[in-house]
Amino acid sequence: MKKNGVGGRSLIGLCLLFLYLPIFLLIFFSFNAGDSSAVWKGFSLHWYAELFRNRLVIEGLATTLLVSLLATAISTVAGTFAAIGIYNLTKKWRDPILVVNDLPMMNADIVTGVSLCLFFVAFFHGWGSIAAWLNSWQSLIRFPTRLTLGLGTLLIAHVSFNIPYVILNVSPRLRQMDRNLVEAAQDLGCTWFQAFYKVILPEIKPGIVSGALIAFTMSVDDFVISYFTAGSSTQTLSMVIYGMTKKRVTPVVNAVSTLMFLAVLVVLVINNIRSARQAQLAAKRASFEPVPESPRVQRIKEWAATPKGRLTRRIVAGVLCAAFVTVTVFLTAFTTSRPVVNVCSWGEYIDEDLIDEFEEQTGIRVNYQTAESNEALYSLLSNGGADYDVVVPSDYMISQLIEEGMLEELDYSQIPNFEKISDRFKNLPYDPENKYTVPYTWGTVGIIYNESLVDEEIHSWSALYDDKYAGQVLLINNSRDAFGIALKYLGYSMNTTDEGEIRQAYELVRDAYERGIFQGKVMDEVFQTMEGGNASFATYYAGDYLSMLENNEDLRFVVPDEGSNWFVDAMCVLKDAPNYENALKWINFIASTDSNLRNMDYIWYASPNEEALELYPQWYEEQYGEELDPEIYSIMAAPQEVLDRCEMYVCLPKATRALYNELWIRLGI
Amino acid sequence: MKNKRSLFAVPYVIWMALFVVIPIIIMLVYSLTVTVDTAQGEVLQGSLSNFTGMTLYASVFGRSFWLALVATLICLALGYPAAYLMSREGEGFKRVAMALIMLPMWMNFLLRTYSWMAILENNGLLNQLLRKLGIIALYNRLTGSDIEYFQMIRTPGAVVLGMVYNYLPFMILPIYTVLTKLDPKLIEAAQDLGANSATVFRRVTLPLSVSGIVSGVTMVFVPSVSTFAISRLLGGGTQMMLGDLIENQFLGGAYNPHLGAAISMVMMVIVVICMLVMNHFGDGEGEAVML
Amino acid sequence: MSKELIRLKDVTMSFDGETVLDNLNIYFNDKEFLTLLGPSGCGKTTTLRIIGGFQTPTSGDVFFDGVRINDVPPHLRKVNTVFQKYALFPHLNVYDNVAFGLRIPKEADGGADKPGKRQTVKLSKSEIDARVREMLEIVSLKGFEHRSVTSLSGGQQQRVAIARALVNRPKVLLLDEPLGALDMRLRKDMQQELKRIQQQMEITFIYVTHDQEEALAMSDTVVVMNEGKIQQIGTPEDIYNEPKNAFVADFIGESNIVDGIMREDRVVEIFNRRFACLDAGFEKDEPVDVVIRPEDVDIVGEAEGQLRGVVTSVTFKGVHYDTIVDFYGFKWLIQTTDYCPVDSHIGIRIDPDGIHVMKKSKYSGMFGDYSSYSEEYDEINREEPEVSGDEE
Repeated sequence: MKKNGVGGRSLIGLCLLFLYLPIFLLIFFSFNAGDSSAVWKGFSLHWYAELFRNRLVIEGLATTLLVSLLATAISTVAGTFAAIGIYNLTKKWRDPILVVNDLPMMNADIVTGVSLCLFFVAFFHGWGSIAAWLNSWQSLIRFPTRLTLGLGTLLIAHVSFNIPYVILNVSPRLRQMDRNLVEAAQDLGCTWFQAFYKVILPEIKPGIVSGALIAFTMSVDDFVISYFTAGSSTQTLSMVIYGMTKKRVTPVVNAVSTLMFLAVLVVLVINNIRSARQAQLAAKRASFEPVPESPRVQRIKEWAATPKGRLTRRIVAGVLCAAFVTVTVFLTAFTTSRPVVNVCSWGEYIDEDLIDEFEEQTGIRVNYQTAESNEALYSLLSNGGADYDVVVPSDYMISQLIEEGMLEELDYSQIPNFEKISDRFKNLPYDPENKYTVPYTWGTVGIIYNESLVDEEIHSWSALYDDKYAGQVLLINNSRDAFGIALKYLGYSMNTTDEGEIRQAYELVRDAYERGIFQGKVMDEVFQTMEGGNASFATYYAGDYLSMLENNEDLRFVVPDEGSNWFVDAMCVLKDAPNYENALKWINFIASTDSNLRNMDYIWYASPNEEALELYPQWYEEQYGEELDPEIYSIMAAPQEVLDRCEMYVCLPKATRALYNELWIRLGI
Repeated sequence: MKNKRSLFAVPYVIWMALFVVIPIIIMLVYSLTVTVDTAQGEVLQGSLSNFTGMTLYASVFGRSFWLALVATLICLALGYPAAYLMSREGEGFKRVAMALIMLPMWMNFLLRTYSWMAILENNGLLNQLLRKLGIIALYNRLTGSDIEYFQMIRTPGAVVLGMVYNYLPFMILPIYTVLTKLDPKLIEAAQDLGANSATVFRRVTLPLSVSGIVSGVTMVFVPSVSTFAISRLLGGGTQMMLGDLIENQFLGGAYNPHLGAAISMVMMVIVVICMLVMNHFGDGEGEAVML
Repeated sequence: MSKELIRLKDVTMSFDGETVLDNLNIYFNDKEFLTLLGPSGCGKTTTLRIIGGFQTPTSGDVFFDGVRINDVPPHLRKVNTVFQKYALFPHLNVYDNVAFGLRIPKEADGGADKPGKRQTVKLSKSEIDARVREMLEIVSLKGFEHRSVTSLSGGQQQRVAIARALVNRPKVLLLDEPLGALDMRLRKDMQQELKRIQQQMEITFIYVTHDQEEALAMSDTVVVMNEGKIQQIGTPEDIYNEPKNAFVADFIGESNIVDGIMREDRVVEIFNRRFACLDAGFEKDEPVDVVIRPEDVDIVGEAEGQLRGVVTSVTFKGVHYDTIVDFYGFKWLIQTTDYCPVDSHIGIRIDPDGIHVMKKSKYSGMFGDYSSYSEEYDEINREEPEVSGDEE
């Protein structure tokens, strides 16, 4: 056949370039001294060093590898036997089974994920009473009455979508196999299982291997199905990365991916060289020239046939098996060790050293997760997928959770540091008797704008709806804030329940949307966009503005004259939390003055701890040897006259929430 | 004797029934019910309102299918020639090219997509490059406009790019597999009967690679139509797709699993119908997939 | 008798330094049934592929009707091929397979002579239909039009492949071991069928096979090839009766090949005994190879024989007995209807026309001894369809 000319090859080259360009970039920026994935600040290996200290990433990697290995092993064995079973079925049975086998592959991942998620949740609902009944009926085994999404469900999901790939690869091999082979082996005295081991297995081995490889690849790369079935306390690497993409992906992830990529590359290269050599040999053989195996190979083969060689071979196989089991056990232990406290907070919302310190002090492992927004947190909690102990919702969500009976009362005798919380932040409307909460941070919402792109000083929300800045504004991707700001701009209360007012706010936003004012809807993606100078305006939280300021000095923050929202995020414990005691210890630890100081310094959100708030400028000077800019301090901890302009959200009635939802969806499409 | 061996399929059948069929049935049940507040708390009630209310999202359906279709066609336009050219290469080249096409799957797909963000941002690498090359200035001079960058991210084009980028290997692999299995004798036979290269391609190669095209199109279209990560990262929330809508009902702000299940059902049915129609054209051999 | 149609001139073909065809010179006449015969790897399939245009010779020229066609691509050549495993298009039914070539617009006759003026003609639907149906009738496949080709038996697929090629009315039909995949009975039927079709269509058939019986039964001319070289060209009778060298003698039919010395014209000495023969023109006392076909030997009493030997084995073959006789350490195969028990001492007589004298060649001494009778017999009967692909 004719080979391709230069043109053909360069087309293949272009395709490959397209596939690899972003990957080269990723690898390139894993060596970046800075933490951006767009701005080069010099060569450094420190992200690789950082990698071993970043728990989120390491744990994600461990979970990913554990689940992928187990799922691959299980589905390869199960799939191979299933393929043999299916092969022996009559056509009447085989065809419908193969249709079902195709389902997970034909179906969108998200449908598979969603259906499994619903199935597990429904099962867990029913399981409580079954387990109780089982436990009352016998006392041999104590069945847990409360099941949650986690490693187990993740594994089941992965096995389910992997098996079809194995079957798909093994079946053609079986069909190609001479049906007489097994009979010949049996005729020569083999039992069926011996025949299976000695004849079928070697025949279908290439299919099994490629099936297992595909299964493993799919498992490692899967995000969507894991996302829906892993629940809250288990995170695969993909999920960790997804959490990060919203804010700022630390180059640590680039580093870990680069390492994985290189590992696979090495395996592929070795494999390629081997098969190239085999192909050469085969080619020579085809030309009727007997080619002796290389002397080394021959020697190894001869040696392997001796009793000593056989023994060694068995030992090596045993060691490999043992290594696999050890790695599995180790990974399991690593991902599920106890005692534990499960915390769910927001992204980049804690100084992670505090977690290490807490673990060292108490020996309690902190399972630290993040949610995207109050609404997302609410979803997670309502669908029963989460088994958090401590959550850190905002004011209005807290009152909603209290109303729906989802929070546990706190035993303040175990939280001595609650004393230090300023009285300003106690008994607030969302928790009037202060039975459920310990405040975590507080702050204001305002306009962040890029001075270099905007040549006026901003004082009003009107800038967000101004044609002058078309395509330059980032709308906050959260109905409550987006409509709340519009309401404020129109002069209404952010907590209004008047449908007319809300619709007016909606019209305002929609109109601006249609005029192309908004470049996009963002939550934590705002960091990257604003820091990179990719948009002029955004609405976000004061603390996050200060984080951005570190990376882009042109950014400014203002609480507009019309007023804005001020908020308190507080720690709460969920009803029936499995680790109530540990949760209280965690809350107390975080509420301490020291923790608050360090958190304030790390995340730039104001602390509700009276002492910490007052001490901070002084502490800052001690730490960094320079004075804290009073303007920064006043943005972080807004003075009373700013707070007077602002309103705190309250929990809206269900009908109003439904209205918000409907309007928000209308806006989105 | 033989039927006894078929018992090996039993555990698998049970597993698939439990974790594939029943979940879909539960999803169906969810989609046909709503929760209603009553004096006794929330109870389930049968209702079709999830489906009737879906007209609200018609444009999301439209956008999803449109963008996925465009992405699939681009993948086909890029992937078929690539697979065709690859299949004509020598063994060594083939092996390396195959490995290179599989390899990116080992870099997390979110990360790869995220990398495109850095490229496509208004102030990103591509715009910087264009600025340095003076292309933006040239464009401004030519059109009399005054822009500092081309808006690339947060546009439908960026979402399509993300889909093409992520799913192109899924188009190349099955087509490539089918083409390499094609008997070269058939090509010779067609030449022998008077067909020139173009005719050989149109009358023999193309019809015989339909099964590869069908599975390639399936493997690109299905994940594209249901994606939510790509549209969120590269569409910047402005390009809401079915995946976003569903995700939003389960793990996002608009918590309503019943609606989410209903949308999933509708999407599943549409996709299955599309695939059945496609499979009808490609002789139903659903086996050419990958390797 | 008829004019020359195709000529290969000094054609050499090598793959990766391995010479497959070595300076081949051969011509093919119009309307003849010519067979390229030889063991696998002898270059016969390569020769066919060069004519078909699927391979370009390393050196040398190919002429068609006097025009050099080395660089003419397959689709512009007026030859069609029946492939070894038929290469039917699996996505088309019987009718569409046969119609495939007709549906392709052809350059008008003479178009190739006038470059730049490429006129194409397209056959009308009704004409295509008529020709396809006519062809299907010729190959006895009427009524199979809409069957899928994969559902046909081997013999039926074979007929489709022939019809598909012939419907284009080529001047030459190339057949690459077309009967290789069929069983014995079907082969016999198809041999006659092919011969009938060739005569009916009045075109040239170039037929490749490794089966000597097939070659002898069907051909007007047989070309015996080995190691990329032509060993002999001739009618089946010539090839069988007057083999040119030990290779041909051995490959075609059974033969005892013994060393001899040409004492004078029409006298050859074997085992120190002089035999009368019909061959002349050798030098005096020239060493030669002598071929004696097993059926040309008469067994007589020991005393009357020109040569005396001992029977070492006897096998009943139906019409005759295969008798192996040891003459002075050299074993002969003799086919006779007389039964001679093992260990009996016998004599033989050979008529002058039963002796064929050949010049010595590189194959001398390699064939003709039946010491390892059964092995050699197996080898002859072994069916080894030549896969053209392995030559690439």
